[in-house]
Amino acid sequence: MTSADLAPRLAAYAASRMPGAVGVEVRDLSRISGGASRQTFRFRLAWTEDGAPRERRMILRRDPPASLIDTERRVEFEAYRAFFGSSVPVPEMIWLEEGTEELDLPFSVAAEITGYEAAPALLWTEPYLAAHETLARNKWTILGEIARADPFALGLDAVMPPPEPGACAFRELDMWEKVLDEDQAEPLPITRAAIRWLRANPPPPAQRIGVVHGDFRTGNFLYDRHGGVHGVLDWEMAHLGDPLEDLGWSLNPVWNFKRNLAGGLVPDAVAIAHWEAASGLRADPAAVHWWTLLNCVKGQAIWISSARAWIDGGNREPIMVLPAWGMQNPQDRAILKVMDRL
Amino acid sequence: MKPDIPAVLAELAGLVARNAAPDVDPAERAGALGLTAALLGMAAEAWEGAAHRLVEENQAIRGLLADAGERAGRNAALAVSRDDDLGISVLSDANAGLRAALIELHAAVETDETPEARSLETRIWEELRRSTERRQMSSALA
Repeated sequence: MTSADLAPRLAAYAASRMPGAVGVEVRDLSRISGGASRQTFRFRLAWTEDGAPRERRMILRRDPPASLIDTERRVEFEAYRAFFGSSVPVPEMIWLEEGTEELDLPFSVAAEITGYEAAPALLWTEPYLAAHETLARNKWTILGEIARADPFALGLDAVMPPPEPGACAFRELDMWEKVLDEDQAEPLPITRAAIRWLRANPPPPAQRIGVVHGDFRTGNFLYDRHGGVHGVLDWEMAHLGDPLEDLGWSLNPVWNFKRNLAGGLVPDAVAIAHWEAASGLRADPAAVHWWTLLNCVKGQAIWISSARAWIDGGNREPIMVLPAWGMQNPQDRAILKVMDRL
Repeated sequence: MKPDIPAVLAELAGLVARNAAPDVDPAERAGALGLTAALLGMAAEAWEGAAHRLVEENQAIRGLLADAGERAGRNAALAVSRDDDLGISVLSDANAGLRAALIELHAAVETDETPEARSLETRIWEELRRSTERRQMSSALA
Protein backbone atom coordinates (compact mmCIF):
# COMPACT_ATOMS: atom_id res chain seq x y z
CA MET A 1 0.00 0.00 0.00
CA THR A 2 1.45 3.39 -0.99
CA SER A 3 1.23 6.53 1.15
CA ALA A 4 -1.41 7.84 -1.26
CA ASP A 5 -3.55 4.76 -0.65
CA LEU A 6 -2.89 4.74 3.06
CA ALA A 7 -3.87 8.35 3.85
CA PRO A 8 -7.63 8.17 3.10
CA ARG A 9 -7.98 4.83 4.89
CA LEU A 10 -6.19 6.20 7.94
CA ALA A 11 -8.40 9.31 7.84
CA ALA A 12 -11.53 7.16 7.69
CA TYR A 13 -10.28 5.16 10.67
CA ALA A 14 -9.51 8.33 12.67
CA ALA A 15 -12.95 9.75 11.85
CA SER A 16 -14.56 6.58 13.18
CA ARG A 17 -12.72 7.07 16.48
CA MET A 18 -13.49 10.80 16.83
CA PRO A 19 -17.26 11.19 17.09
CA GLY A 20 -17.12 14.99 17.53
CA ALA A 21 -14.87 15.55 14.53
CA VAL A 22 -15.92 16.40 10.98
CA GLY A 23 -13.82 16.70 7.83
CA VAL A 24 -11.04 14.48 9.18
CA GLU A 25 -8.02 14.52 6.88
CA VAL A 26 -4.58 12.93 6.92
CA ARG A 27 -2.03 15.36 5.51
CA ASP A 28 1.65 15.05 4.59
CA LEU A 29 1.83 11.33 5.32
CA SER A 30 5.42 10.23 4.77
CA ARG A 31 7.43 7.21 5.76
CA ILE A 32 10.31 7.69 8.19
CA SER A 33 13.54 5.86 7.39
CA GLY A 34 14.59 3.09 9.71
CA GLY A 35 12.04 1.31 11.80
CA ALA A 36 13.14 -2.23 11.06
CA SER A 37 10.51 -3.77 13.30
CA ARG A 38 7.64 -1.44 12.41
CA GLN A 39 6.77 0.63 9.34
CA THR A 40 6.75 4.16 10.71
CA PHE A 41 4.99 7.16 9.15
CA ARG A 42 4.68 10.81 10.16
CA PHE A 43 1.48 12.75 9.37
CA ARG A 44 -0.72 15.66 10.38
CA LEU A 45 -4.28 14.88 11.37
CA ALA A 46 -6.63 17.80 10.61
CA TRP A 47 -10.30 18.05 11.53
CA THR A 48 -13.04 20.48 12.58
CA GLU A 49 -14.58 20.23 16.01
CA ASP A 50 -17.18 22.56 17.53
CA GLY A 51 -16.77 24.72 14.45
CA ALA A 52 -13.04 25.23 15.03
CA PRO A 53 -10.24 23.79 12.87
CA ARG A 54 -7.86 21.49 14.74
CA GLU A 55 -4.61 19.81 13.80
CA ARG A 56 -2.23 17.39 15.51
CA ARG A 57 1.04 15.83 14.43
CA MET A 58 1.04 12.08 14.81
CA ILE A 59 3.06 8.93 14.20
CA LEU A 60 1.63 5.77 12.62
CA ARG A 61 3.48 2.51 13.23
CA ARG A 62 2.40 -0.52 11.22
CA ASP A 63 3.65 -4.07 11.60
CA PRO A 64 5.43 -5.33 8.48
CA PRO A 65 4.73 -8.93 7.42
CA ALA A 66 7.96 -10.08 9.11
CA SER A 67 9.91 -7.81 11.38
CA LEU A 68 13.36 -7.64 12.87
CA ILE A 69 11.88 -8.21 16.29
CA ASP A 70 8.71 -10.25 16.62
CA THR A 71 6.88 -8.52 19.42
CA GLU A 72 3.44 -8.04 20.86
CA ARG A 73 2.13 -4.62 19.90
CA ARG A 74 -0.27 -4.63 22.87
CA VAL A 75 2.64 -4.96 25.27
CA GLU A 76 4.44 -2.06 23.64
CA PHE A 77 1.31 0.09 23.64
CA GLU A 78 0.62 -0.55 27.32
CA ALA A 79 4.23 0.15 28.27
CA TYR A 80 4.01 3.58 26.66
CA ARG A 81 0.68 4.23 28.34
CA ALA A 82 1.99 3.18 31.74
CA PHE A 83 4.79 5.76 31.70
CA PHE A 84 2.97 8.62 29.94
CA GLY A 85 2.90 11.67 32.23
CA SER A 86 5.63 10.26 34.52
CA SER A 87 9.27 11.26 34.94
CA VAL A 88 10.02 8.82 32.11
CA PRO A 89 9.15 10.89 29.03
CA VAL A 90 7.20 9.02 26.37
CA PRO A 91 4.83 10.02 23.59
CA GLU A 92 1.10 9.78 24.18
CA MET A 93 -0.48 6.68 22.70
CA ILE A 94 -3.74 7.43 20.86
CA TRP A 95 -5.03 4.26 19.15
CA LEU A 96 -4.13 0.61 18.85
CA GLU A 97 -5.61 -1.74 16.27
CA GLU A 98 -4.59 -5.37 16.54
CA GLY A 99 -6.70 -6.55 13.62
CA THR A 100 -5.99 -6.26 9.91
CA GLU A 101 -9.34 -4.92 8.67
CA GLU A 102 -8.52 -1.23 8.85
CA LEU A 103 -5.06 -0.88 7.30
CA ASP A 104 -4.31 -4.48 6.26
CA LEU A 105 -1.78 -4.81 9.10
CA PRO A 106 -1.96 -4.15 12.86
CA PHE A 107 -0.98 -0.61 13.79
CA SER A 108 -0.77 2.02 16.50
CA VAL A 109 -1.02 5.80 16.40
CA ALA A 110 0.80 8.11 18.81
CA ALA A 111 1.27 11.83 19.24
CA GLU A 112 4.49 13.04 17.65
CA ILE A 113 7.06 14.68 19.91
CA THR A 114 8.61 17.36 17.73
CA GLY A 115 11.67 19.56 17.86
CA TYR A 116 14.22 17.03 19.08
CA GLU A 117 16.80 14.68 17.61
CA ALA A 118 17.16 10.90 17.81
CA ALA A 119 20.05 10.07 15.43
CA PRO A 120 23.22 9.08 17.31
CA ALA A 121 25.49 10.56 14.60
CA LEU A 122 24.53 14.10 15.54
CA LEU A 123 25.79 13.55 19.06
CA TRP A 124 29.39 13.50 17.88
CA THR A 125 29.08 17.00 16.43
CA GLU A 126 28.86 20.48 17.94
CA PRO A 127 26.96 21.69 19.87
CA TYR A 128 25.94 18.25 21.15
CA LEU A 129 29.47 17.16 22.10
CA ALA A 130 29.52 19.64 24.95
CA ALA A 131 26.37 18.16 26.49
CA HIS A 132 27.45 14.53 26.74
CA GLU A 133 27.80 14.44 30.53
CA THR A 134 24.39 16.03 31.03
CA LEU A 135 22.82 13.77 28.44
CA ALA A 136 24.39 10.71 30.06
CA ARG A 137 23.12 11.72 33.48
CA ASN A 138 19.61 12.17 32.10
CA LYS A 139 19.78 8.98 30.05
CA TRP A 140 20.84 6.66 32.86
CA THR A 141 18.71 8.47 35.44
CA ILE A 142 15.65 7.80 33.29
CA LEU A 143 16.71 4.19 32.90
CA GLY A 144 17.05 4.02 36.69
CA GLU A 145 13.56 5.46 37.05
CA ILE A 146 12.20 2.77 34.76
CA ALA A 147 13.96 0.24 37.01
CA ARG A 148 12.47 1.88 40.12
CA ALA A 149 8.90 1.82 38.78
CA ASP A 150 6.52 -0.74 40.27
CA PRO A 151 5.17 -2.79 37.35
CA PHE A 152 2.35 -4.19 39.46
CA ALA A 153 1.14 -0.74 40.53
CA LEU A 154 1.27 0.28 36.87
CA GLY A 155 -0.85 -2.72 35.95
CA LEU A 156 1.75 -4.01 33.53
CA ASP A 157 1.67 -7.52 34.98
CA ALA A 158 -1.66 -7.89 33.13
CA VAL A 159 0.16 -7.90 29.78
CA MET A 160 3.70 -8.88 30.80
CA PRO A 161 4.11 -12.12 32.77
CA PRO A 162 6.30 -11.54 35.86
CA PRO A 163 9.09 -14.09 36.28
CA GLU A 164 10.46 -15.23 39.61
CA PRO A 165 13.55 -13.22 40.61
CA GLY A 166 15.73 -16.28 40.30
CA ALA A 167 14.37 -17.16 36.86
CA CYS A 168 14.96 -13.85 35.04
CA ALA A 169 18.45 -14.57 33.79
CA PHE A 170 17.95 -17.97 32.20
CA ARG A 171 14.52 -17.04 30.87
CA GLU A 172 16.22 -14.38 28.74
CA LEU A 173 19.15 -16.63 27.85
CA ASP A 174 16.81 -19.47 26.86
CA MET A 175 14.71 -17.16 24.72
CA TRP A 176 17.58 -15.63 22.78
CA GLU A 177 19.41 -18.93 22.38
CA LYS A 178 16.22 -20.34 20.86
CA VAL A 179 16.11 -17.44 18.40
CA LEU A 180 19.70 -18.22 17.43
CA ASP A 181 18.96 -21.94 17.09
CA GLU A 182 16.02 -21.24 14.82
CA ASP A 183 17.36 -18.35 12.78
CA GLN A 184 21.12 -18.67 12.37
CA ALA A 185 22.20 -19.00 8.76
CA GLU A 186 25.76 -19.98 9.62
CA PRO A 187 27.57 -21.25 12.74
CA LEU A 188 28.43 -18.64 15.39
CA PRO A 189 31.42 -19.90 17.41
CA ILE A 190 31.92 -16.69 19.41
CA THR A 191 28.27 -16.34 20.36
CA ARG A 192 28.05 -20.04 21.27
CA ALA A 193 31.11 -19.72 23.51
CA ALA A 194 29.44 -16.78 25.24
CA ILE A 195 26.28 -18.80 25.81
CA ARG A 196 28.26 -21.65 27.38
CA TRP A 197 29.99 -19.18 29.70
CA LEU A 198 26.68 -17.57 30.68
CA ARG A 199 25.19 -20.95 31.54
CA ALA A 200 28.20 -21.90 33.64
CA ASN A 201 28.30 -18.62 35.55
CA PRO A 202 24.72 -17.55 36.44
CA PRO A 203 24.14 -14.18 38.11
CA PRO A 204 22.40 -13.69 41.47
CA PRO A 205 18.59 -13.44 41.48
CA ALA A 206 17.03 -10.09 40.58
CA GLN A 207 16.89 -7.63 43.48
CA ARG A 208 13.36 -6.90 42.39
CA ILE A 209 11.12 -7.55 39.42
CA GLY A 210 10.93 -4.39 37.39
CA VAL A 211 9.99 -3.03 34.00
CA VAL A 212 12.62 -3.79 31.40
CA HIS A 213 12.46 -1.47 28.40
CA GLY A 214 14.38 -3.98 26.32
CA ASP A 215 16.04 -1.60 23.85
CA PHE A 216 17.21 1.39 25.92
CA ARG A 217 20.24 2.77 24.11
CA THR A 218 21.61 5.84 22.42
CA GLY A 219 19.46 6.20 19.32
CA ASN A 220 16.19 5.24 20.97
CA PHE A 221 15.42 8.48 22.76
CA LEU A 222 14.82 12.09 21.71
CA TYR A 223 17.37 14.61 22.92
CA ASP A 224 18.16 18.30 22.68
CA ARG A 225 21.41 20.22 22.37
CA HIS A 226 21.56 20.83 26.12
CA GLY A 227 21.48 17.15 27.05
CA GLY A 228 17.77 16.97 27.81
CA VAL A 229 15.89 13.75 27.03
CA HIS A 230 12.32 14.30 25.85
CA GLY A 231 11.03 10.94 24.71
CA VAL A 232 11.99 7.32 25.28
CA LEU A 233 11.01 5.33 22.21
CA ASP A 234 10.98 1.74 20.93
CA TRP A 235 9.35 -0.15 23.77
CA GLU A 236 8.54 -3.12 21.57
CA MET A 237 10.72 -5.51 23.58
CA ALA A 238 9.42 -4.32 26.96
CA HIS A 239 8.85 -7.01 29.57
CA LEU A 240 9.16 -7.65 33.29
CA GLY A 241 12.43 -8.97 34.62
CA ASP A 242 15.72 -8.04 36.27
CA PRO A 243 16.31 -4.29 35.89
CA LEU A 244 20.02 -5.04 35.43
CA GLU A 245 19.08 -6.41 32.02
CA ASP A 246 18.41 -2.91 30.71
CA LEU A 247 21.64 -1.62 32.21
CA GLY A 248 23.49 -4.43 30.45
CA TRP A 249 21.91 -3.58 27.09
CA SER A 250 22.88 0.06 27.49
CA LEU A 251 26.48 -1.08 28.16
CA ASN A 252 26.63 -3.48 25.19
CA PRO A 253 29.77 -2.23 23.40
CA VAL A 254 28.00 -2.10 20.02
CA TRP A 255 26.17 0.96 21.35
CA ASN A 256 29.49 2.72 21.99
CA PHE A 257 29.52 3.89 18.38
CA LYS A 258 33.27 3.23 18.13
CA ARG A 259 33.99 5.69 20.97
CA ASN A 260 34.83 3.23 23.78
CA LEU A 261 32.36 4.97 26.09
CA ALA A 262 29.00 3.74 27.35
CA GLY A 263 26.47 4.83 24.75
CA GLY A 264 29.29 6.81 23.16
CA LEU A 265 28.92 9.30 26.00
CA VAL A 266 30.68 8.53 29.29
CA PRO A 267 32.77 5.77 30.94
CA ASP A 268 30.76 2.73 32.04
CA ALA A 269 31.35 3.54 35.71
CA VAL A 270 29.72 6.96 35.34
CA ALA A 271 26.68 5.49 33.61
CA ILE A 272 26.35 2.82 36.29
CA ALA A 273 26.61 5.42 39.09
CA HIS A 274 23.75 7.45 37.58
CA TRP A 275 21.65 4.31 37.22
CA GLU A 276 22.31 3.19 40.80
CA ALA A 277 21.41 6.62 42.19
CA ALA A 278 18.10 6.72 40.32
CA SER A 279 17.06 3.09 40.66
CA GLY A 280 17.95 2.56 44.29
CA LEU A 281 19.46 -0.76 43.21
CA ARG A 282 23.03 -2.00 43.42
CA ALA A 283 24.81 -2.81 40.20
CA ASP A 284 26.92 -5.74 41.37
CA PRO A 285 29.92 -5.81 38.98
CA ALA A 286 29.71 -9.55 38.35
CA ALA A 287 25.98 -9.31 37.67
CA VAL A 288 26.44 -6.32 35.36
CA HIS A 289 29.10 -8.28 33.50
CA TRP A 290 26.74 -11.25 33.09
CA TRP A 291 23.89 -9.07 31.86
CA THR A 292 26.14 -7.15 29.49
CA LEU A 293 27.32 -10.40 27.93
CA LEU A 294 23.74 -11.71 27.81
CA ASN A 295 22.80 -8.58 25.93
CA CYS A 296 25.62 -9.19 23.47
CA VAL A 297 24.05 -12.59 22.77
CA LYS A 298 20.65 -10.93 22.52
CA GLY A 299 22.04 -8.40 20.06
CA GLN A 300 23.49 -11.15 17.90
CA ALA A 301 20.15 -12.97 17.96
CA ILE A 302 18.40 -9.82 16.73
CA TRP A 303 20.87 -9.26 13.89
CA ILE A 304 20.63 -12.94 12.95
CA SER A 305 16.84 -12.90 12.95
CA SER A 306 16.93 -9.86 10.69
CA ALA A 307 18.95 -11.89 8.19
CA ARG A 308 16.55 -14.81 8.55
CA ALA A 309 13.48 -12.67 7.85
CA TRP A 310 15.13 -11.48 4.64
CA ILE A 311 16.40 -14.91 3.58
CA ASP A 312 13.01 -16.53 4.09
CA GLY A 313 11.35 -13.78 2.06
CA GLY A 314 9.09 -12.57 4.84
CA ASN A 315 10.57 -9.09 4.61
CA ARG A 316 12.80 -8.05 1.70
CA GLU A 317 13.20 -4.44 2.85
CA PRO A 318 16.84 -3.31 2.68
CA ILE A 319 16.66 -2.21 6.31
CA MET A 320 16.60 -5.91 7.22
CA VAL A 321 19.99 -6.47 5.58
CA LEU A 322 21.69 -3.49 7.19
CA PRO A 323 21.95 -4.92 10.74
CA ALA A 324 22.61 -8.41 9.38
CA TRP A 325 25.66 -7.17 7.48
CA GLY A 326 26.64 -4.20 9.59
CA MET A 327 26.22 -5.45 13.15
CA GLN A 328 27.17 -9.13 13.34
CA ASN A 329 30.90 -8.54 13.25
CA PRO A 330 30.81 -5.60 15.69
CA GLN A 331 28.68 -7.76 17.98
CA ASP A 332 31.24 -10.57 17.81
CA ARG A 333 33.96 -8.09 18.71
CA ALA A 334 31.79 -6.80 21.56
CA ILE A 335 31.46 -10.33 22.92
CA LEU A 336 35.24 -10.79 22.77
CA LYS A 337 35.71 -7.47 24.57
CA VAL A 338 33.23 -8.28 27.35
CA MET A 339 34.80 -11.74 27.76
CA ASP A 340 38.26 -10.11 27.87
CA ARG A 341 39.35 -12.05 24.78
CA LEU A 342 39.95 -9.15 22.42
CA MET B 1 28.06 -12.78 5.30
CA LYS B 2 24.36 -13.58 5.38
CA PRO B 3 22.15 -12.93 3.50
CA ASP B 4 24.40 -13.83 0.56
CA ILE B 5 25.70 -10.84 -1.37
CA PRO B 6 24.46 -11.92 -4.85
CA ALA B 7 20.90 -12.38 -3.58
CA VAL B 8 20.91 -8.97 -1.91
CA LEU B 9 22.35 -7.27 -4.99
CA ALA B 10 19.60 -8.77 -7.14
CA GLU B 11 16.97 -7.49 -4.73
CA LEU B 12 18.58 -4.05 -4.66
CA ALA B 13 18.54 -3.93 -8.44
CA GLY B 14 14.77 -4.37 -8.37
CA LEU B 15 14.43 -1.77 -5.64
CA VAL B 16 16.40 0.81 -7.60
CA ALA B 17 14.35 0.10 -10.71
CA ARG B 18 11.10 0.60 -8.80
CA ASN B 19 12.39 3.87 -7.38
CA ALA B 20 13.14 5.12 -10.88
CA ALA B 21 9.40 5.51 -11.41
CA PRO B 22 8.37 9.18 -11.27
CA ASP B 23 5.44 8.74 -8.89
CA VAL B 24 7.41 7.35 -5.94
CA ASP B 25 7.05 9.41 -2.76
CA PRO B 26 10.29 11.45 -2.46
CA ALA B 27 10.77 10.57 1.21
CA GLU B 28 10.34 6.86 0.51
CA ARG B 29 12.69 7.10 -2.48
CA ALA B 30 15.31 8.88 -0.37
CA GLY B 31 15.09 6.24 2.32
CA ALA B 32 15.29 3.33 -0.11
CA LEU B 33 18.20 4.76 -2.07
CA GLY B 34 20.10 5.76 1.05
CA LEU B 35 19.89 2.24 2.41
CA THR B 36 20.77 0.82 -1.00
CA ALA B 37 23.88 2.98 -1.13
CA ALA B 38 24.98 1.81 2.32
CA LEU B 39 24.50 -1.85 1.40
CA LEU B 40 26.28 -1.49 -1.93
CA GLY B 41 29.26 -0.03 -0.08
CA MET B 42 29.33 -2.94 2.33
CA ALA B 43 28.99 -5.46 -0.50
CA ALA B 44 31.85 -3.89 -2.40
CA GLU B 45 34.12 -3.98 0.63
CA ALA B 46 33.25 -7.54 1.59
CA TRP B 47 33.38 -8.94 -1.94
CA GLU B 48 36.96 -7.92 -2.65
CA GLY B 49 38.43 -9.97 0.18
CA ALA B 50 35.80 -12.69 0.52
CA ALA B 51 37.68 -15.59 -1.11
CA HIS B 52 40.96 -14.76 0.62
CA ARG B 53 39.27 -14.48 4.00
CA LEU B 54 37.42 -17.77 3.63
CA VAL B 55 40.48 -19.70 2.48
CA GLU B 56 42.58 -18.26 5.29
CA GLU B 57 39.93 -19.00 7.90
CA ASN B 58 39.28 -22.50 6.62
CA GLN B 59 42.99 -23.30 6.78
CA ALA B 60 43.29 -21.93 10.29
CA ILE B 61 40.42 -24.06 11.55
CA ARG B 62 41.78 -27.15 9.78
CA GLY B 63 45.07 -26.55 11.60
CA LEU B 64 43.29 -26.47 14.96
CA LEU B 65 41.37 -29.64 14.16
CA ALA B 66 44.57 -31.37 13.09
CA ASP B 67 46.34 -30.39 16.30
CA ALA B 68 43.33 -31.49 18.33
CA GLY B 69 43.76 -35.08 17.11
CA GLU B 70 41.28 -37.36 18.82
CA ARG B 71 39.68 -34.41 20.59
CA ALA B 72 38.22 -33.40 17.22
CA GLY B 73 36.10 -36.54 17.40
CA ARG B 74 33.75 -37.05 14.46
CA ASN B 75 35.12 -33.89 12.82
CA ALA B 76 38.72 -35.10 12.64
CA ALA B 77 38.45 -35.84 8.93
CA LEU B 78 37.74 -32.17 8.21
CA ALA B 79 41.34 -31.41 9.15
CA VAL B 80 42.52 -32.85 5.85
CA SER B 81 39.82 -31.37 3.63
CA ARG B 82 40.87 -28.87 0.93
CA ASP B 83 39.54 -25.78 -0.80
CA ASP B 84 39.91 -26.92 -4.41
CA ASP B 85 36.92 -24.91 -5.63
CA LEU B 86 37.39 -21.19 -4.95
CA GLY B 87 33.80 -20.21 -5.67
CA ILE B 88 32.52 -18.07 -2.80
CA SER B 89 29.45 -20.23 -2.17
CA VAL B 90 31.58 -23.41 -2.05
CA LEU B 91 34.12 -21.82 0.26
CA SER B 92 31.28 -20.52 2.46
CA ASP B 93 29.75 -23.98 2.74
CA ALA B 94 33.12 -25.42 3.75
CA ASN B 95 33.57 -22.57 6.22
CA ALA B 96 30.21 -23.29 7.82
CA GLY B 97 31.15 -26.94 8.30
CA LEU B 98 34.50 -26.02 9.78
CA ARG B 99 33.08 -23.39 12.13
CA ALA B 100 30.49 -25.89 13.35
CA ALA B 101 33.33 -28.31 14.06
CA LEU B 102 35.23 -25.55 15.84
CA ILE B 103 32.25 -24.96 18.15
CA GLU B 104 32.24 -28.64 19.13
CA LEU B 105 35.98 -28.68 19.68
CA HIS B 106 35.86 -25.48 21.74
CA ALA B 107 33.09 -26.85 23.96
CA ALA B 108 35.09 -30.04 24.48
CA VAL B 109 38.40 -28.42 25.41
CA GLU B 110 37.07 -25.71 27.72
CA THR B 111 36.04 -28.33 30.28
CA ASP B 112 39.31 -30.25 29.93
CA GLU B 113 42.01 -29.17 32.40
CA THR B 114 44.93 -30.94 30.72
CA PRO B 115 47.77 -28.68 29.52
CA GLU B 116 47.10 -29.74 25.92
CA ALA B 117 43.47 -28.71 26.17
CA ARG B 118 44.36 -25.38 27.83
CA SER B 119 46.82 -24.64 25.06
CA LEU B 120 44.29 -25.57 22.40
CA GLU B 121 41.62 -23.38 23.93
CA THR B 122 44.01 -20.42 23.97
CA ARG B 123 44.67 -20.99 20.26
CA ILE B 124 40.96 -21.29 19.51
CA TRP B 125 40.27 -17.94 21.15
CA GLU B 126 43.16 -16.45 19.20
CA GLU B 127 41.65 -17.74 15.96
CA LEU B 128 38.24 -16.38 16.93
CA ARG B 129 39.81 -12.99 17.56
CA ARG B 130 41.54 -13.13 14.18
CA SER B 131 38.31 -14.16 12.49
CA THR B 132 36.60 -10.98 13.71
CA GLU B 133 39.51 -8.96 12.32
CA ARG B 134 39.22 -10.68 8.94
CA ARG B 135 35.52 -9.97 8.80
CA GLN B 136 35.74 -6.39 10.02
CA MET B 137 34.49 -3.74 7.59
CA SER B 138 35.21 -0.03 7.68
CA SER B 139 31.55 0.50 6.79
CA ALA B 140 30.28 -1.47 9.80
CA LEU B 141 27.62 0.25 11.85
CA ALA B 142 29.33 -0.06 15.21
